Amino acid sequence: MKINALKLPLLAILVLPFLGCEKDDDNGPDNEQELITTIALKFTGGGQTVTFTAVDKDGDGGSAPVIQNINLKANTDYTLSISFLDESKTPSEDITTEVKAESNDHLVCYAATGAMVSPIASDKDAGGKTLGLESAFKTGAAGAGTLKITLKHEADKSSANACGTGETDAEATFNVTVQ
Amino acid sequence: MEKRWTSLLVMLWLVLGLPAQLLAQDCNLSLRGQVLNADTGLPMPYAGIIIKETQQGVQSDEHGHYQIERICPGEYTIVCSHLGCDHAEQKLALQRNAVLDIAMKENAVTLENLVVTGSSNKKAGTQTSSELSGVELDAGRGMGLGESLKRLSGVSTLNTGATISKPVIQGLHSNRILIFNNGVRLEGQQWGNEHAPEVDPFTAERITVVKGAASVRYGADALGGIILLEPKPGRQTPGIGGEAHLQGYSNGRGGIASGMLEGRLAKLPLSGRIQGTLKRAGNLQTPNYYLNNTGVSESNFSWSGKFQPEHWVVETFYSRFFTQLGILRDSHIGNLTDLNNAIERGRPLQDGAFSYDLGRPLQKVMHETFRVKLAHALSETDKLSLQVSRQFNRRQEYDAHRRFNPLPETLDDPSIEFEITTWAAELNWDHQLGRNWRGALGTNAQSQVNTVDRGALIPNFDNFDWGLYWTERRFKYGSPWEYEFGLRYDLRHLHVAEQGTNNLNEDRNFQNWSASLGVVYALNEVWKLRFNMGSAWRSPLVNELYSSGVHHGSASYEQGNPDLQAERGFNNSLTLEGSRNDHWTMALTSYYNLINHFIYLQPRSEAQLTIRGAFPAFDYNQADARIMGIDWTGDFTLYKTLHLESKASLLSGWNRELEDYLIYMPPLRFEQGLKWGFNEKKQADHPSFVRISALWVLQQKQAPVTDYAPPPAGFVRLDAELFHTLMWGKQRLEVGISVSNLLNTEYREYLNRFRYFSAEPGRNLSLRLKVPFNFT
Repeated sequence: MKINALKLPLLAILVLPFLGCEKDDDNGPDNEQELITTIALKFTGGGQTVTFTAVDKDGDGGSAPVIQNINLKANTDYTLSISFLDESKTPSEDITTEVKAESNDHLVCYAATGAMVSPIASDKDAGGKTLGLESAFKTGAAGAGTLKITLKHEADKSSANACGTGETDAEATFNVTVQ
Repeated sequence: MEKRWTSLLVMLWLVLGLPAQLLAQDCNLSLRGQVLNADTGLPMPYAGIIIKETQQGVQSDEHGHYQIERICPGEYTIVCSHLGCDHAEQKLALQRNAVLDIAMKENAVTLENLVVTGSSNKKAGTQTSSELSGVELDAGRGMGLGESLKRLSGVSTLNTGATISKPVIQGLHSNRILIFNNGVRLEGQQWGNEHAPEVDPFTAERITVVKGAASVRYGADALGGIILLEPKPGRQTPGIGGEAHLQGYSNGRGGIASGMLEGRLAKLPLSGRIQGTLKRAGNLQTPNYYLNNTGVSESNFSWSGKFQPEHWVVETFYSRFFTQLGILRDSHIGNLTDLNNAIERGRPLQDGAFSYDLGRPLQKVMHETFRVKLAHALSETDKLSLQVSRQFNRRQEYDAHRRFNPLPETLDDPSIEFEITTWAAELNWDHQLGRNWRGALGTNAQSQVNTVDRGALIPNFDNFDWGLYWTERRFKYGSPWEYEFGLRYDLRHLHVAEQGTNNLNEDRNFQNWSASLGVVYALNEVWKLRFNMGSAWRSPLVNELYSSGVHHGSASYEQGNPDLQAERGFNNSLTLEGSRNDHWTMALTSYYNLINHFIYLQPRSEAQLTIRGAFPAFDYNQADARIMGIDWTGDFTLYKTLHLESKASLLSGWNRELEDYLIYMPPLRFEQGLKWGFNEKKQADHPSFVRISALWVLQQKQAPVTDYAPPPAGFVRLDAELFHTLMWGKQRLEVGISVSNLLNTEYREYLNRFRYFSAEPGRNLSLRLKVPFNFT
């Protein structure tokens, strides 16, 4: 009797592993790790609109990103509009809409050197804090410099050094010629 | 050392002989009796019976009878040994002729578990090892395998935060260490520094660490050593019993409930066990701030069954391990600039708050093991066993950042997912050659398939391993010498398939020999010397060969090297052991290990530029390395039951080609404790104690300059512990209270990869209760 009482649970647990084996979700490999492949800068000023890009289509390894040189006119008012794209997909995807949708979590930072002037953000996130997709600046005298664009995720926007916090989603340093 | 005997069922009848003859000092006494099998009651022929003090010894005859003559009156330790049984030891005050019948328990060697062979022989085996069991194991295992093993000298951990902890033996970790859980070699995703071993320490009754490369019995690869987790042997008497554990922790407000229930039938030699563990904890706290998202949730389950007809054993074992680990949000960074910002801050951005929520970044790891083992006793001394096992491991990692524009159905998809399935079989023959040589001859095969469902850090691969081994040990009671040698041949075939969108389609073959030699020499009753040398090899792993991508936790870009060769280690160690009954015990081990073609990450001079900015880049490279060090452990009785416990490990790792230090080598650790025992008479098996100990860790000065931040300063940490056994009616209750980091010191460990981002957790008060129960 004792044996019978133990037999059932024993049988049950013996069978368990064969039921609880792998349930492989066969979606196939999903290797689209890259979130952003392209940073596009659209400068409007001096009566024309010019676009420069930094593109890294093959992701982290392989070939380095291709970053175009920016050419701007001296002593000119510019507005800068930045967009982020995922061009590894066809058709390419505009990540900028996502950044806007989660505007509280995102921040675009600028750092300029040499003859380049740091743009000043002109847009706000949903909470009324800086977002930075849109900005404006006025170039000075002719010369060479650089402009570093960084898209931050979950930066602490109330921090004095907001650009020193958060996680970098995209970053590129462009060479700038002002002439 | 004596603990082992307590777990044995050693029955003893001491029947006083004829009326006292002479109390004089003439050495005319005799001791006789019969050696019996405790299970079957049948006589055990050819067991060795030795009086330890005088080295007088005989062998039992075919009916198990023995007689030792010409013994002087005195106090003696009688040792009985038999292959396939644990040694039985009994103290005896001999004043007249006596009869001593000895009932021996067949031990794990015979019928329990293949791997136990190695560790059961450990006492007499030649390799340096240390083990964790009883109260010491209970006290640590709630914190996971790595943290429990830190209690042993020469073992440290490589941490990723406080929740992910990997054991490091004599400076080596990950795939240079083999972990055996109940006889099955753990095959998960051990290659990653942030991949903790997928085992539940609550399934084990004893954890043994074998140090050094001479791993012939267990497989190639173990350049650093082996960790054996052994469950309690199956129940030997009919009835139902088990144990319940309840533990609570103040830091992280964690709780653990673990239970085990086992039973054995009266009429059939059939026993079974079920066991489970649930664990939940929230955010940890350092002395000055909380660590957001450092909670953990774990649920583990296992069962086993054992059928033991005469000369046979059939065993099954299944376990399922599932853990969800939160990873400190601030450690997830985008690029080198972010990392430098974080290091400059040295602490999380916000003070954080307590929460049980597990958010991103997150790891979910599931590991299943199933094994069947069949063993047959060919004779009193020889056993044949066959084990087949299957393991399945799924690792899912969730990045802090969800992908942009996720489809609703993919919102909760992991960013990285690996699945690995391993089938393994092993055939082993335990045998005796002549009178004093015992050994094992066997072969094993393993087939493994790994698929990368998400992420392209490593490729899909499958591999096949085959090995052949032979070990022999000469051991004779009474002789001061003991020898052991082993030889092993392994081959591995690796096929690499897709990595991301590339189809690598490459085949790699590796094959080689391993060998070991050990000698033990007992200088006298007190001192013993062990010398071991061995050579083992390890084939490069798929991540070392083909890694390509960014590790977010370390903000590094890692590039594999398909041209890597296998590593070859030469291990030498010399141990001096001493023990004087209840007065003191000590062990001092020195080791000198050379590893040729040691695989490591070599920093590139130029950072890898990506669209997320610059990442420091590392290439897998190899060079000849040297690791040497000293492990020390000692226990000295200062006064009555007051003990001084002392542990130290000193290590130096050197890259002989670059002429630079190896990275992530544990700094000098030095631990001193005072332990006062009480209640020893009432609870001889589970004596109560109070302990206070100080851990002193020096700053690691021997570190390469290529690290992102210099090694943290040294520190001193105080811990305290109380253990008490009480009786509640007839029920025994074991209660433990411990406080780690008593003074709430803020410190950082060099071997914690999160030392860049935060300090170690602060004070932690833990309470634990263990209730063993038994119904017969």
